[in-house]
Amino acid sequence: MKRIDALRTIIESTANEPVVATCAATSRELASIDDRDNHLYLLDAMGLAISVGNGIAQCIQANSEARCFVIEGDGSMLMNPGAALTAGYLRQENLVIIVLDNGVYASTAGIPTQARDLDLGAIAEAAGLRVLRPEGEAELAAALTASRNEAGPWFLHARIEPGNAASTPLLLMDPVILGQRFQSWLLCRTAS
Amino acid sequence: MTTITHERHRSVIDAITRLEPDGVAYVPSASIAPIINGLLSAEEEGTLPLIFPVSREEEAIGIVGAYPLAGKFGVIVMQDNGFGNALTALTTFAVSYHLPLLIIANTRGGLGEYNSMIHNISAPVPELLRSTNIPVFSLDRRNSADDWAATIVEAGKHSQMTYRPVVVLMEFFDHTDEKAKA
Repeated sequence: MKRIDALRTIIESTANEPVVATCAATSRELASIDDRDNHLYLLDAMGLAISVGNGIAQCIQANSEARCFVIEGDGSMLMNPGAALTAGYLRQENLVIIVLDNGVYASTAGIPTQARDLDLGAIAEAAGLRVLRPEGEAELAAALTASRNEAGPWFLHARIEPGNAASTPLLLMDPVILGQRFQSWLLCRTAS
Repeated sequence: MTTITHERHRSVIDAITRLEPDGVAYVPSASIAPIINGLLSAEEEGTLPLIFPVSREEEAIGIVGAYPLAGKFGVIVMQDNGFGNALTALTTFAVSYHLPLLIIANTRGGLGEYNSMIHNISAPVPELLRSTNIPVFSLDRRNSADDWAATIVEAGKHSQMTYRPVVVLMEFFDHTDEKAKA
């Protein structure tokens, strides 16, 4: 599975949920598929996606059906692995962390990450997160459905192929506008 | 016996409570342990909603910094040597996305500090923060306990009115209290 295929699968099942995406190629490819108001792109805050998702999840927990989805990469998670440990400690049942693990820093010349030898899913399990290891788009879709139907916090550890989608445009939007767009959507969503 | 340091600890807890935050994240420090324990007691009593530890300061910026995106507001309690860890998260997330949050940090380094190496990060912290457009307000022995509380409350409001993170630095050294330390 390529990252762009995984992102298409995620987009298909998250039209009405907040989605926090890690920086660089992941956010760019997500926006290139469908630039939605419920997407929060972290343009340069590497290693922060899980923490930001945790904060959003805390804020929307009054709605028991609501989920907050986080799209993280292996390299970004490894920059701040404590965030996953804290997610296990805080036990936000509505938090769904999706780690697209290609074993490389795909946005920085494909340099290998430690994930080539470390099992990030096992680390998440040790932290108390509910781990699924979907292979391919169909299993990822099923894992997303499971994470919606049962309480988390979830950690979907999906191995993907290295590399980025060709000719994906840069995300050059003002982060203030991105944040305000996401906030407006989320406040309308939580008010309804 | 109540000391001026105890009064300042109590004032900080009261000020945070008056701000009615939706959550408070903390990173430990011996100097502010009474504040953190007081906040945890307030959570148990139901006067504060959610007090929780994080493993590093940038996690706190990520979690609490996200609150305004959902129309909420949070506070971080930490010590100032953690701003080295927090700076990238502060600048690329909280500052860049115009997200208000209040950080209350005790100072290390300077007067009353026993650790010979911690000065090297603590001393430049105010300048580091101001150079990244993060306002800093300082409290020390010259401020009354009431002034500590009022400053923290106003700093919280200032953060929300100006849509950015705001820092209050607390220096606990006080020659009138022999137990006061950094």
